[in-house]
Amino acid sequence: MEKPGPITAPSAAWQLRLPYAALALFLLSLAALIWLTRVHDGETQYNTLISDVLWMEQNVQFHLDRNAAQLAELGPILQDGMSAQAEAKLRHLLRAESGLVRVIWLDRSGQPIAAMPPLTDDHLIGESRGAVPSRSTFRLALSVGRTVYAPAYEVAGTEHHFEAHVPIPSDTGAIAGMVGVYSLDNLIIRELPWWFSERYRVSVIDASGREIAAKSKVAPLSDALSYSIAFDPPGHGLVLRITAYKDEIRWIPALLIASILLLGGIIVWSIWQLRLQLGRRQAAEQALRGEILFRKAMEDSLMTGLRARDLDGRITYVNPAFCRITGFTADELIDRMPPMPYWDPEHIDRTVEVHDLILSGNPPAEGVELQLRRKDGQRLDAMIFEAPLIDAEGRHTGWMGSMMDVTEQRRARELARQQDERLQATSRLITMGEMASTLAHELNQPLTAISSYSSGSLNRLEDGDIDKQELVEIHRKIARQAQRAGEIIRRVHDFVRRSEPKRAPLDLNAVILEALALLEPDVRKRGMRVVKELTSGLPTVCADPLMIEQVVVNLLRNAMDAMVDTPRAQRRVTLATAQENDVVTVRVADEGAGIPDETARKLFEPFFTTKPEGMGMGLNICRTIAELHHGRLSYERRPAGGTVFVLSLPV
Amino acid sequence: MNPCAHIIDDDEAIRDALEWLFKSRKLPSTTWDSAEAFLAEWTPEWRGCIVLDIRMHGMSGLECFDTLTARGCKLPLIFITGHGDVPMAVSALKKGAFDFVEKPFDDTELVAIVTRALELDNERRRSEDVREDIRRRLALLTAREQEVMQHIVEGKYNKVIADTLNISMRTVEAHRSKIFEKMGVRSAVELVQLVRDAET
Repeated sequence: MEKPGPITAPSAAWQLRLPYAALALFLLSLAALIWLTRVHDGETQYNTLISDVLWMEQNVQFHLDRNAAQLAELGPILQDGMSAQAEAKLRHLLRAESGLVRVIWLDRSGQPIAAMPPLTDDHLIGESRGAVPSRSTFRLALSVGRTVYAPAYEVAGTEHHFEAHVPIPSDTGAIAGMVGVYSLDNLIIRELPWWFSERYRVSVIDASGREIAAKSKVAPLSDALSYSIAFDPPGHGLVLRITAYKDEIRWIPALLIASILLLGGIIVWSIWQLRLQLGRRQAAEQALRGEILFRKAMEDSLMTGLRARDLDGRITYVNPAFCRITGFTADELIDRMPPMPYWDPEHIDRTVEVHDLILSGNPPAEGVELQLRRKDGQRLDAMIFEAPLIDAEGRHTGWMGSMMDVTEQRRARELARQQDERLQATSRLITMGEMASTLAHELNQPLTAISSYSSGSLNRLEDGDIDKQELVEIHRKIARQAQRAGEIIRRVHDFVRRSEPKRAPLDLNAVILEALALLEPDVRKRGMRVVKELTSGLPTVCADPLMIEQVVVNLLRNAMDAMVDTPRAQRRVTLATAQENDVVTVRVADEGAGIPDETARKLFEPFFTTKPEGMGMGLNICRTIAELHHGRLSYERRPAGGTVFVLSLPV
Repeated sequence: MNPCAHIIDDDEAIRDALEWLFKSRKLPSTTWDSAEAFLAEWTPEWRGCIVLDIRMHGMSGLECFDTLTARGCKLPLIFITGHGDVPMAVSALKKGAFDFVEKPFDDTELVAIVTRALELDNERRRSEDVREDIRRRLALLTAREQEVMQHIVEGKYNKVIADTLNISMRTVEAHRSKIFEKMGVRSAVELVQLVRDAET
């Protein structure tokens, strides 16, 4: 497995930051766009405002000019006194929307001749601060010969008026000029169309900056959009100021901008979420990678071999310990189908059996012990545990097996078991041989002493130089040694008495099965087959179960030993029980080479053996046991080769 | 210690009985209850023979024999063996033991063997004494006399010896008579015999 690279390659850092930079740029340009749109909008509105103002100014101008023209027309008509035509014209002039509140006609000196509506003195004195009409203005109008406007003045504290002086050229008539008195309020309020006053607040400001007339009392929300223009005529420092009440709300661009802002917000939020998600994912990946490395380190450090197989038995994974145990490399094992290279041809049947058992879905929970073969041909005892492999979707995809090398343990166990078994099975036999040897040595000691004492005494007696006391002493010693020998003999007798059979009624078949169970591991190890031909319903015999079992074990083992050189397939021991008249027989038949004649003669002699490690006591003791039970142990040749030992016991 | 038969056996009855038996035949004996006890006391000057039981508690007879051999003990050694020890005893014989007897033994035979062993040791001791005497005499000779004697033993005439050693005939003759005197011989033949004895 290759080493995992760093989480991000250094060159990828700017690639990661690119979306953020693009996003920032995008937002910036969006903001710029909106700003520009707004600036553009403002300009457009301002331009509209200016053109509206210019329009209004022109309109007022036009109005004033027209009124002045009508006043000029009216002069000559009034020269001839008030006529119907003059009255109609005056009335027409004084319509509310004309802005004129009074028309005065003056003589050459500037004194009012008449007015419409008529003038009162009170009115003149109380309401006007200068001379009304203003003489200087009239004189100026006369001298220049065209219409001149007089400064505005306050009337009755609330209104402002101004006058337009129109000279009437006449050499004969009394009337030298016409004066139109305008109310500022009327002029700008009445003259303006509804749509204009709806959009804008129109005010007139005098030279000192005071607002002297306004279209509306409602103040605009802000002065942001306003435009001032000289109000000339009437002039004299008057300024016409127009302020837009509010920005015109243009819904479609606003909606567009709002949706752009909203979408931009959503994009930022999404990217932020994405980033969070990515961070979580990276953290998870990091954790996963760490976990994988941890697991791998664990697998690599295991002493237990691990191998995974799919449902067909194909190897899909092995860990280093598995390779170490079997001696094969991972490449040699992965993708292999059974038979595996580490299967031992000698135990192929059992291995295949176990393999099929696992693949059929019933792996033994307590594990299976198998004999395998390493690559170098060495024997390998392995303990194998299998568990199903389940993938993320819960499907069963194969088997994970762990394998432990138990060769050494098993060898040690086998050795211990063999020793134990040998010890147990032969302990009784050995005791006898050992005892014979010990007995010989033990008895030799006093006998040798007695012999020497006696020889010495005889020598002395022959020489005649022995006194009575010495002789008595020596004979005491001889007697003591004789007693010592007697003591040894008694001990032997005790031992023999202790090993008398403890008889009990017993079922011969049960004893045979017991003996077989004892030898079962040995039988399997040597590849023997044991055929049981046990007759049921045998009468019970009165015998020592341990002794009989010992005889059967001995005979079975002899039978197996006799077939060491027999081909594996023919290694068969037949165990049969039967009743013949008043005896019950146990027949143990092997299919070995049989017993040669010279061996047969010495078969039951003590210390005779054909086995390198044998004591030569087995059959001898078996026969002794048979005789102790008043039975017999004999043997026959098997016609087809091999030997049959027959133990017969009286019922 | 006077020459005697050393009986080594861990069984007290056997030791006592053998001592009694040997005493009845006028054979001097000493008893030891273990191989360890004997080895602790033993010195090369001891004379006589050893009667050793093969099977003992503690150090066995064979180990004791091996130890003695390693230490240069030349005493004749007789093993007493029990049943089953015979092959061991035979291999001990091959390694230089004097003899072995099997329990229960024929007492007369054992006495005869021990007697022979004691005689052998005695003989060895006597020849050893003779050699010791010759070596002592040889040590009396001066360096020049030994040189001259070497030539005499090689059978050279006086004249040849005088020429070889670059001395006068008379001087050679004087050395010759001195050597004969010191070695206690009367002829060159006897001298040769003596020197050969000393070398064996």
